[in-house]
Amino acid sequence: MTEGFALPTRFGAQSLGGCYAPETLMQPLLDLEAAFRAASVDPAFLAELRAELRHFVGRPTPLTPAPRLAAKLGLKVLFLKREDLTHTGAHKINNALAQAILARRMGKTEIIAETGAGQHGVATAAACARLGLACTVYMGVTDMARQAPNVARMRLFGAKVMPVEAGQGTLKEAVNEALRAWAGQCDRAHYILGSALGPHPFPTLVRSFQTVIGEEARAQVMDQSGSLPEVVLACAGGGSNGLGLLVPFLGDGLRRVAVEAGGYGTALGEHAARLDGGHMGVLHGCKTLLLQDEHGHTAETASISAGLDYPALGPELAALVLDGQVEVRRASDEEALTGARMLCENEGILPALESSHALALLPALVAEGVATVLLGLSGRGDKDLSTYQARLGI
Amino acid sequence: MSLNPLLPFLMAGDPSLEALPALLAEAKALGLEAIELGLPHSDPIADGPVLQAAAHRAIARGATPRRVLESLAGLSESPDIILFTYLNPLFQMGAERLKQLLAPTPVRALLVVDLPFGEESDLEATLRTAGYPMVPLLAPTTTLGRARQILLDRPDPGPSACFAQRFAYVVARLGVTGTGQGMDREPISRRLEALKGLTERPLAVGFGLSDPQSLSVIRTMGATPVIGSALVQELAEGRSLREALTPRMVDDV
Ligand SMILES: Cc1ncc(COP(=O)(O)O)c(C=O)c1O
Repeated sequence: MTEGFALPTRFGAQSLGGCYAPETLMQPLLDLEAAFRAASVDPAFLAELRAELRHFVGRPTPLTPAPRLAAKLGLKVLFLKREDLTHTGAHKINNALAQAILARRMGKTEIIAETGAGQHGVATAAACARLGLACTVYMGVTDMARQAPNVARMRLFGAKVMPVEAGQGTLKEAVNEALRAWAGQCDRAHYILGSALGPHPFPTLVRSFQTVIGEEARAQVMDQSGSLPEVVLACAGGGSNGLGLLVPFLGDGLRRVAVEAGGYGTALGEHAARLDGGHMGVLHGCKTLLLQDEHGHTAETASISAGLDYPALGPELAALVLDGQVEVRRASDEEALTGARMLCENEGILPALESSHALALLPALVAEGVATVLLGLSGRGDKDLSTYQARLGI
Repeated sequence: MSLNPLLPFLMAGDPSLEALPALLAEAKALGLEAIELGLPHSDPIADGPVLQAAAHRAIARGATPRRVLESLAGLSESPDIILFTYLNPLFQMGAERLKQLLAPTPVRALLVVDLPFGEESDLEATLRTAGYPMVPLLAPTTTLGRARQILLDRPDPGPSACFAQRFAYVVARLGVTGTGQGMDREPISRRLEALKGLTERPLAVGFGLSDPQSLSVIRTMGATPVIGSALVQELAEGRSLREALTPRMVDDV
């Protein structure tokens, strides 16, 4: 087996993405791509995935009109794509489950994952419990503290949660440690990466397992309103729910918007807004927009939401942004909290802090004259209750 | 007693950047032909705890890529240096600036851990032409077919070239750098034999080698052992290169 990759490894005019992996991981990545290509055209795999998404995950998820919040903000129409209603409570399960099925097909018996907000960790732990695979999740110690309910859920599902002390104790360090662990166990373990980043084929794999969000949403919005909205909107950490929602709308004449974490300031280290201050670099196996210093060392990041607190934007989403297909905006910690509160009070839905960044952009869109929006509600906010309590004084 | 063949790994900036010229001079005085020098990186995904900690200490003390290379400028008392690094610092510097900074140094080759062949062909060709070839890395997961491709893409400059520019690096085990307890002799021996059928180049073997027996076993297989984490640890604890290396150079297995 001396062939290289068969699928495109690069995205957009600036050739983002690629496969910047240590040699030890190259053959596992080549094998993964081959298994993915075979599975994508295998009716048995596709049927199993479809059945699991329906009966275990709860797909299709609803598209919920949000008329009271729309009226409050001055929008004519607001639809919410309800990934918060999936089993385990976020879009992450779409990818985790699909990769777990793929890993089992490859004969892998152990699963490694990283997690930031804990949603990908919980989704992976649940998928592994269902499929009978051993699961180890790497999580930064800062994130373990701020997303404690998800740590408990992972453990209940039988996963081993490995605390990562290095650096800021957030998602970047968890990915570092997961990649190291995978290099040590790649003969028997599969690494389920949780966002559309990392070395090829991960960005493509993850996006392809997440576009079910946008495919459903597009059909649902046409069905319910007979037309497409002016704006389709999602939050962006690595970019998996963003790509999942936005890619199926790429051919449409509408605005596609991704919202990054604006943190508490605009200086390097105070946010995770890769479009403001990020430049091209290589981290975790791919070339993309990266927050870094002039020496090529990764910069620190800050966000109230663990899932958006990551220094790199996934390469495919970054390429779509640089090539003018997707707009990127930012929302601060405070704006996200306000967005969450408005959804709670007007619609009775508690959003994840990540998803709240998308909600936070709605007033700005209204100010720009936008009247109809489809918003990806990527996850539910139960995991964030302690932050909401502390920051909203409830 | 000769230390060769041995390829020691040092982390630039640990214990300090100021101490680096003296360490290199000591390495030369010990008769070492080449050393690997790590450029400290913020996210060393192929390194275990010892080298991670060393890199972070070095960064905290200001060992930026530019300052590391500047501190090597004009050094004549040094073995040939193989610069061990991750891609992003080089990528941010750019090929032209990198060539300028490397020109007055004893750096003879680059080992870029996260740069598989073919991903940055232009950069790699520019640097090779300038005299800085990339060291081919061969892992336990690398099939023989892939090894053949790698060795073709990063070609042998021939027997007249120095060790640093010629050797291929054989990764001893799955995983990351670190100290190991002994070594599984049989699989490495088999891999080395297979690789010797593919290439005339000298082979170095690293990752997890620290005890005298492991080093000796690699030598008896006709390859050069790399000693990294264990050495960096001892230097950080204040020992000299000689104190750290000579007790490991026993020849019985
Ligand atoms: C609910 C939720 N939304 C969004 C994200 C951000 O990730 P991505 O950009 O890959 O969708 C996360 C990540 O943990 C999440 O848990």
